[in-house]
Amino acid sequence: MSGVEKTSNESPEVEDKNKEMDAEAEESFGDDYGVEPSQYLFYSDRKEWADLEPVPQDEGPNPVVKIAYSKKFSDVYDYFRALLKKDERSERAFALTADAIDLNAANYTVWHYRRILLQALSKDLRKEMTYITNIIEEQPKNYQVWHHRRMVVEWLNDPTEELAFIAEILSQDAKNYHAWQHRQWVIQEYKLWDNELEFVESLLEDDVRNNSAWNQRHFVISHTTGYSDPAVVEREIQYCLQQIRKAPHNESAWNYLKGILQDHGLSSQPGLLEKVLELKETHCSPYLLAFLFDCYEDALENSKNTEEQERQETLSKALEICELLAQEKDTIRKEYWQFLGRSLQSRHGRSSSEEPPGAEAESLPASGVQEAS
Amino acid sequence: MAEEEKQLEEFEQIDFLKDRHVRFFQRTLQVLPERYASLETTRLSIVFFALSGLDVLGSLDVIDKDLIIEWIYSQQVLPTDDKSNLGRCGFRGSSHIGIPYSTKGPGVLHPYDSGHVAMTYTGLCSLLILGDDLSRVNKQGCLAGLRALQLEDGSFYSVPEGSENDIRFIYCAACICFMLDDWSGMNIQKAIEYIRGSLSYDSGFGQGAGRESHGGWTYCAIASLCLMGRLEEALSPRELDRIRRWCIMRQQSGFHGRPNKPVDTCYSFWVGATLELLGVFRYTNFEKNRNFILSTQDRLVGGFAKWPDSHPDPLHAYFGLCGLSLIGEPNLRKVHPALNITQGAFQHLQQLHQTWRSSCGQQH
Repeated sequence: MSGVEKTSNESPEVEDKNKEMDAEAEESFGDDYGVEPSQYLFYSDRKEWADLEPVPQDEGPNPVVKIAYSKKFSDVYDYFRALLKKDERSERAFALTADAIDLNAANYTVWHYRRILLQALSKDLRKEMTYITNIIEEQPKNYQVWHHRRMVVEWLNDPTEELAFIAEILSQDAKNYHAWQHRQWVIQEYKLWDNELEFVESLLEDDVRNNSAWNQRHFVISHTTGYSDPAVVEREIQYCLQQIRKAPHNESAWNYLKGILQDHGLSSQPGLLEKVLELKETHCSPYLLAFLFDCYEDALENSKNTEEQERQETLSKALEICELLAQEKDTIRKEYWQFLGRSLQSRHGRSSSEEPPGAEAESLPASGVQEAS
Repeated sequence: MAEEEKQLEEFEQIDFLKDRHVRFFQRTLQVLPERYASLETTRLSIVFFALSGLDVLGSLDVIDKDLIIEWIYSQQVLPTDDKSNLGRCGFRGSSHIGIPYSTKGPGVLHPYDSGHVAMTYTGLCSLLILGDDLSRVNKQGCLAGLRALQLEDGSFYSVPEGSENDIRFIYCAACICFMLDDWSGMNIQKAIEYIRGSLSYDSGFGQGAGRESHGGWTYCAIASLCLMGRLEEALSPRELDRIRRWCIMRQQSGFHGRPNKPVDTCYSFWVGATLELLGVFRYTNFEKNRNFILSTQDRLVGGFAKWPDSHPDPLHAYFGLCGLSLIGEPNLRKVHPALNITQGAFQHLQQLHQTWRSSCGQQH
């Protein structure tokens, strides 16, 4: 198939791996080669292309990371290069771009040329929407296809299919970054905010740990009601705590809760600390404890007028949390929690003989490199 | 007896197979099968992964540097005689457009030929790694090509014809300006605004404003600011502490890129290097990180994959190595965390800068 001489000194395991991966690739691209080999005509054999001189890729004397293309692949792209060179604007060029995309949908030059042709030939953009819909379904993690869709939507100035389409893509992979990005663009550009919070909630019903959905929640609310309305904040706090009770070990919910409150001071939200301390008994997690630590730290930073005794108690509680995290609840970050404890101590501790011994930071390895044991 | 066998097996499980990785990168630099077609327009970045990977392994001696330098220069889009294409200069990912092979100017006018910001960035890095002095780089062209890519909001396109625009290309632009020692290629202030705008409510960075925070984009944000020398100007101490927290919470065994996502080898670098730049990488768990990275090592063909029992690829092979380098794996060279080349290559760059600056009185 490849027509390029294989390096004959590949080791057996590499040969095996290549065969394995080629077989996998065949499986996923099988349909593309569904046409009987005898029916497929190379461009170089098509008489309506006879006027065009194909342009091979000129790799020079010592190509690096050369890709071994089959004759079918090179044939399509040799003619693509020929079209590009003369900047031909024709139906046959437009048709060829579909073949080129089929072989490599990541070639941004092909997509750009196709867009030039779409406009030069006044092609039916509705048909193009159908076309790009199908391609994205097959290759939803490709940058070029989403960019192309965005361009067509802009030209049509018609976002009406978008939310449903993106929802369909998200139903296959609820965290597809490209899909979410496109969704945010559509919503912001065409002011389609109305039903988005509902959509977010349905996704969180499916998977309360979907961090993309939590992010979208913040996106929608910050662009609509905003977070300055205390009623909104209270509602969101309740929503978070509710989700946390259902699934305590969920960083996303805790990040969201902290995110919406931290700029006004975690310790200034009345009753919150108490609720979190309650949850600590039944729904504990490293994220809850980290949140508590942050509350205590905020109290220390922002309550200069508080009595020294109370400040030391707060400090003491914060340091307890650090120890709990380091020794038991989040041991992978032991060094970090201990570092945070030391920092907090040095910023807010009393300098008195009552300081626990060994409170000074032990010297760190000079290069910051630990030994992997 | 069983105990010894078990111990031996464990050791074999987690040992680092340097020679396999050297051969993996050697093969990458030669020929890839057709199923890698989607990499055609980004081949120069794959060259970078292989070269920098070999450099980290201390094994650049296995390749012919001069031949590769020639090929890289053949990807440079040079100004035409009348300089009408300056805004399109830089480096291509490959010869896929069909320009005849040439390593010197003047540029050939072609309606669709232009550089790609990530290829200019990885092209320059690759030249440095190979010990080249960049004397054949058309700096005026590269910088003009770069300026043509920046948008009003401070982000960059990848190509002058237009593309998606986001924080990845700000990082590429910052690297290019840093390497060429010339920040006229970008409006730093606007870039900083875009970066700040990408800071999420949870203190990670998204690809742009409002978007989900992500380890890769967080690296782009922080590394860019470090290269610009503006980290502490752009972000307050409190913001930096929160960013440290977001990053350090990414460690699960190895690292993942977003909360509640699976771990993936490459984030050992994206997040690890960010933590290093922020001064707190030392507080991560090196052993668990190492064990995860090595669990994705392909013991037969070399390289690393994103997950265990998956196929290796050049990107994960490279970042797996960088992840190990960060934790001080023996026999791996250290990597400059912001520019993502070895310290040796970085020192070569610094020497070039000294040379350029001391001959500043002369015409460039």
